[in-house]
Amino acid sequence: MNQIVLIVVLPLLAAFLVPIVARMSASLGAALGPLVMGVCLWITGTVAIESAGNAFAINIGGFMPPLGITFFVDRLALLFAFLTALLVLVLWPFQGEHRPREHALTLILAAASGGLALSGDLFNIYVFYELVSVASFGLVATGRRSSAPAIRYLILSGFGSVLALVGIALVYTQTGTLNLAHLSQLAPTHLINPIGLAAFALILLGVGVKAELFPVNTWVPEVYATAPNRVSALLAGLVSKLAALVILRLLVLVFAQEQALLVMLLLGLLGVITGELAAWRAQDMNRMLAYSSIGQLGMVFVAFSIPGETGVFAGLAIALHHLVVKPALFLLAARWGGALSGLAGAAGGNLPAALLFTLFALSLVGVPPLPGFWAKLLLVMGLAEQVGPLYHFALAGILIATVVEANYLFRIVSTLFHRDSPASPAPQKHSGGDIATAGLFGASLIAAVLLLIPLSQSLKTIAQQTADAAAYRAVVTLAPTTSTLGDTQ
Amino acid sequence: MRNLASLLFAGGLGFLLMVFGLQFDFGNAPMLVGQAIQSAAPEQVGAANIVTAVVLGYRGIDTLGELAILFAASTAVGLILGHRHTSTKPDPDSGLILRAGGELLMPLLLVVGLYIILHGHLTPGGGFQGGVILAAAFFIPVLARPSTPLKHTGMMLIEGFSGAAFILIGLAALYSGGEFLQPLLDKGTLGNLVSAGTLPLLYLAVGLKVGAELAGLLAHLAAAEVSES
Repeated sequence: MNQIVLIVVLPLLAAFLVPIVARMSASLGAALGPLVMGVCLWITGTVAIESAGNAFAINIGGFMPPLGITFFVDRLALLFAFLTALLVLVLWPFQGEHRPREHALTLILAAASGGLALSGDLFNIYVFYELVSVASFGLVATGRRSSAPAIRYLILSGFGSVLALVGIALVYTQTGTLNLAHLSQLAPTHLINPIGLAAFALILLGVGVKAELFPVNTWVPEVYATAPNRVSALLAGLVSKLAALVILRLLVLVFAQEQALLVMLLLGLLGVITGELAAWRAQDMNRMLAYSSIGQLGMVFVAFSIPGETGVFAGLAIALHHLVVKPALFLLAARWGGALSGLAGAAGGNLPAALLFTLFALSLVGVPPLPGFWAKLLLVMGLAEQVGPLYHFALAGILIATVVEANYLFRIVSTLFHRDSPASPAPQKHSGGDIATAGLFGASLIAAVLLLIPLSQSLKTIAQQTADAAAYRAVVTLAPTTSTLGDTQ
Repeated sequence: MRNLASLLFAGGLGFLLMVFGLQFDFGNAPMLVGQAIQSAAPEQVGAANIVTAVVLGYRGIDTLGELAILFAASTAVGLILGHRHTSTKPDPDSGLILRAGGELLMPLLLVVGLYIILHGHLTPGGGFQGGVILAAAFFIPVLARPSTPLKHTGMMLIEGFSGAAFILIGLAALYSGGEFLQPLLDKGTLGNLVSAGTLPLLYLAVGLKVGAELAGLLAHLAAAEVSES
């Protein structure tokens, strides 16, 4: 089962070779990327079947942890590895001029995302996080509309990386190890103190840049408004979720303390409120989607701040729902950029796109039979179970945010279906590929409604496995010398 | 408003730093993994330079990640600067002294760079450091003669194949029954030039890749400068 490492390595290999292959044969170069992502899908699938849901760890280079680096493979990691390969494949830049460099960067993004899902070592996570950042800088800058947002994104991202690195360094000075399982073992004695909390806050803010966490998300609207929509879809759909996954792992394993949860709850709630209010005021489709994405990610963080399995379950549900809905919305918005008022009657020119948009909007708001409703219900129920005024305050905040969300999304839907439009300028056609891809996301949303019970069952088992820190420690066998050293410390 | 928010953020960060200052037990950091690696590395990896044992052995996949970061950065630069036309004339060649100096320096830098790369598992140095020197070896002649730029094709080939070689060595270990990037071949005697198994080969791949990458990056930037002016 150690072939799972291939989902990180093969895309990197392909990325290194794409420029050369593309020079020899353009068509082969164009086919290499999708082919490799297909192989990654297949590998993840076979490993998932082989492991039968049991978590296992592989030691890269054959060195026992915590000396070497461990990849920890459980249901959650496999799920996200699978979704990474799938989303990259679905959002692959098939159309337009063929640029090998763009393909190479997309492959690197895929490799690093797979690494983030699998890695069980704090510094290794940082390396993959940095790799995701650098690859996304390049992809964002391909928009050509303006490079200023990309540069601001680069600066904020770099700042975040520094914060995260300082946080990791603090953890290392306190414990002397970087392996997550080992850290989890040492955390109760070494990290439940102000320094541990500060380290968590730094890592949270640093990784939060990609996860669109409240104070460090100012890059989101302008980057999503100027980057190519497929890139926005990848960043909002995939990369933000992987950053949230990293934070979830750290929260469960290393920083399982009450104050850390409160910090997350507060920042998440602020994200929900500011994101939804800003989306309500936004005048541009892409910006509105970006702000709404901030709100949704805030909800994920609020959910993760509920201790135990309930929070993980609700957070994963919201994250996965957003992962399906937001990329599709960005694809649909590709031709609907510019002022929202210019969209009056756009449904007349393109009925399927407008209908799909309505479906996703309904699910995002949480209209009952659609998956978005069940995800929000889980969150609301989880918050209601908790004692403490802050949780109930968050509950109220989320309900109010939902009303705001409903208001602006339905406003757009009614604009799209506006009947007597004042002679709309030549209807902007969507490319067939975008519509088909969005249709694919829509179909999976409908399928999720039909398969709701088995899906929620399997998500519950994933949440159970993820929230169980003791099981994680049991899977990773540490080298004997260091574990005894740890006890005597 | 924006200033106020930045001020608040900076204040919070300052408070955090103050907390560290008060709480920190300086000079007594636990060295769990560090000590374990120091005692185990010579026997497990066989590299006299323990830093190399960490960089290529224990944390080899991190190094692969670093290589990919460098590759992503230079690819992004190429993507952004790539479609500019170099219609303007490059700067004229510099005088005799600079040209002759550049030509003299190149072989020296090549030797030093390769030496540092190939002795990376024995003495301080290695692929990254040596690679930078190799890049300088190729870039100094370009500075002396701006009219004869680097050949992108050659750089691209070295870059791609050396990166692929690093991964293929790792995959060879995976397919011979071990784990990805597990050191292969005989460890030899500690301190010999031919020792530490596949580590010197990995460092050679790293060095060539870093060298080609940086030289390509510098050439791109130089070309962009020309077209800007």
